[in-house]
Amino acid sequence: MKASAIKPITLVLARELTTTISLLLGVSVIAFLIILASPGDPFAQLFGGFSGTESERLALYESLGIPTTWYGQYFSWLGNVVQGDLGTSIRSGQPVLGEVASAGVNTLYLTVGALIVTLAIATPIAIYTAIRENSRLTLTYNLFAYMISAIPVFWLGYLGIYLSTHLFGFFPLGLGSSDTGNVAKFLLPIFILGLGSGLISEVVRHMREQVSRVMNEEYIRTARAKGAVVWKHAFKEGFLIPVTEIMAIKMPFIIGGAIIIEQVFNWPGMGRMAWQAAQDRDFPVILGITLAAAVLVRLSSLVHKLVFVSVNPRASHL
Amino acid sequence: MKIQYQQHTKDISQYSELSLIQRSDKTDVAFVAYGLFVLSLVFISYLLGLFGWLPFDPDDMDMDLMMALPGASGHILGTDFLGRDILTRLILGIQAYFLPGLLAIVVALGLGTFMGVLSGYRGGKAEAVITYINNVMDSLPRLVLILLVVAAFKPDIYIIMLVVGLTNAPAVASLVKDKITFLKQKNFLEASVALGLSTRTIIVKHILWYNCRTLLIIQATLGMAEAILIETSLSYLGFGVQEPIPSWGNMIQAGANYMMRGDFWPSTAPALAILFTVLGFHLLGDGLNNILEGKRRK
Repeated sequence: MKASAIKPITLVLARELTTTISLLLGVSVIAFLIILASPGDPFAQLFGGFSGTESERLALYESLGIPTTWYGQYFSWLGNVVQGDLGTSIRSGQPVLGEVASAGVNTLYLTVGALIVTLAIATPIAIYTAIRENSRLTLTYNLFAYMISAIPVFWLGYLGIYLSTHLFGFFPLGLGSSDTGNVAKFLLPIFILGLGSGLISEVVRHMREQVSRVMNEEYIRTARAKGAVVWKHAFKEGFLIPVTEIMAIKMPFIIGGAIIIEQVFNWPGMGRMAWQAAQDRDFPVILGITLAAAVLVRLSSLVHKLVFVSVNPRASHL
Repeated sequence: MKIQYQQHTKDISQYSELSLIQRSDKTDVAFVAYGLFVLSLVFISYLLGLFGWLPFDPDDMDMDLMMALPGASGHILGTDFLGRDILTRLILGIQAYFLPGLLAIVVALGLGTFMGVLSGYRGGKAEAVITYINNVMDSLPRLVLILLVVAAFKPDIYIIMLVVGLTNAPAVASLVKDKITFLKQKNFLEASVALGLSTRTIIVKHILWYNCRTLLIIQATLGMAEAILIETSLSYLGFGVQEPIPSWGNMIQAGANYMMRGDFWPSTAPALAILFTVLGFHLLGDGLNNILEGKRRK
């Protein structure tokens, strides 16, 4: 089959998947080396009060089938990870994969919901300030976006709890509570993270640049001259691409915010789990969460690349 | 078309007679002024905390005057849930992030500039390697990486900020690299090579000093804002400064317990301190960016 016969999207998918895998390998090396460099043997946690000579310890490693060199340990760990075995949590004794997966779904609700809230607030501001460039309201909107981004998100969380309890009469228990009927209780953390993650000002800035650039393009002028619906033409480049781009670039950031918000609202997600694991020095769990977070980030980047190429096929040859 | 052209030339001739401040957007000047005000306030407060010139003893509890609002009997910003002076604790809280934040900035800028020059000026393999490292760093959420480091080392704030600096370095590197790639098309670099200037002079003087310093200053202000947010988040999570030593993060965390019964102030005061400081550094960075780099010819 000739190269030109393959659809560009397939080529891009293959290329991006290769990049994703190589980047995830890089992440795994860094994470593994950090754990390996930690003071005290990671196995010391497991062996407890083992006291013996160095050769006895190495013999114990060999009898357990643990490689003694660092790269040997890395590759044996990586081999297990690829097969879906992330080890067992030192704290709970459960397989890490299942724990991280169930917590990851909760974090996904939180992050995706927060992104939607952020976009719902930032998009009107960005579009308004892009179209009416010299409006006095632009400054007000800008300042609002700056200020909302500088508020510490955990304080905003407590404020939200106070207001919801005292004004609206419910306590936001979060996920995992027995009372799962009231949807509003789950919406509060999502709303707070979307508002306070610090993303709004950056989304506004990026989107305003893109929208005002697109609105000055010639094809928009043509569309306007023809009397066509301008938004239909501006949507792809002026909205879809900036949104997925921001989502891809800022995914790490919003996961960071999720860690804090999960702490405030007792949300049983990856962030709380990572916090607990950092407290307990639970290495398998924190390694699993690091990898899962990196996978989330790379996936959002993959989505962005695919949207970008499907909107603008010329980019597939880059 | 012709009228527009004349207008344009008039503008440029006007610009040349105006100082940098006069030809800048008034909003940007106001942003920078506020940012510089915050910067000097933080620096002065840091020195006050360092030399111990404080209005009250930070650990001195006044059980008769708990949860006092601002202005109550000499406490300018009131007292917290143990009757300790909030202003004093806010000033001391700057100790928690000031030097660690500077460390993060120095590491990020130093290493980032080095990597940027290496990949931008030389190109080739170095560029590919640095792009790869940059992408790997972008794949790791900062706070997750920090929790990983916390789990491994139980480090103090300086090590954490070293990690923050290391993770920010690739981003600075890619900015410097882009700038150098842009500068390489300019004639003056070609001329300086033709004149026989040493590579060191070209890089240090003509590229970094003349053309990258504003970019680096802007990155430094944004880096400080980030350092503050990370330090306060970590103190909030309990991995940073521990009570009774004040940090803005643990002040919010401790005060939040009293928020539900309506005592907002002990946790709102540090939150406002974070808000206005981070806002100051953000506005300083963006204002400088607009004045010095971006909108100059608008």
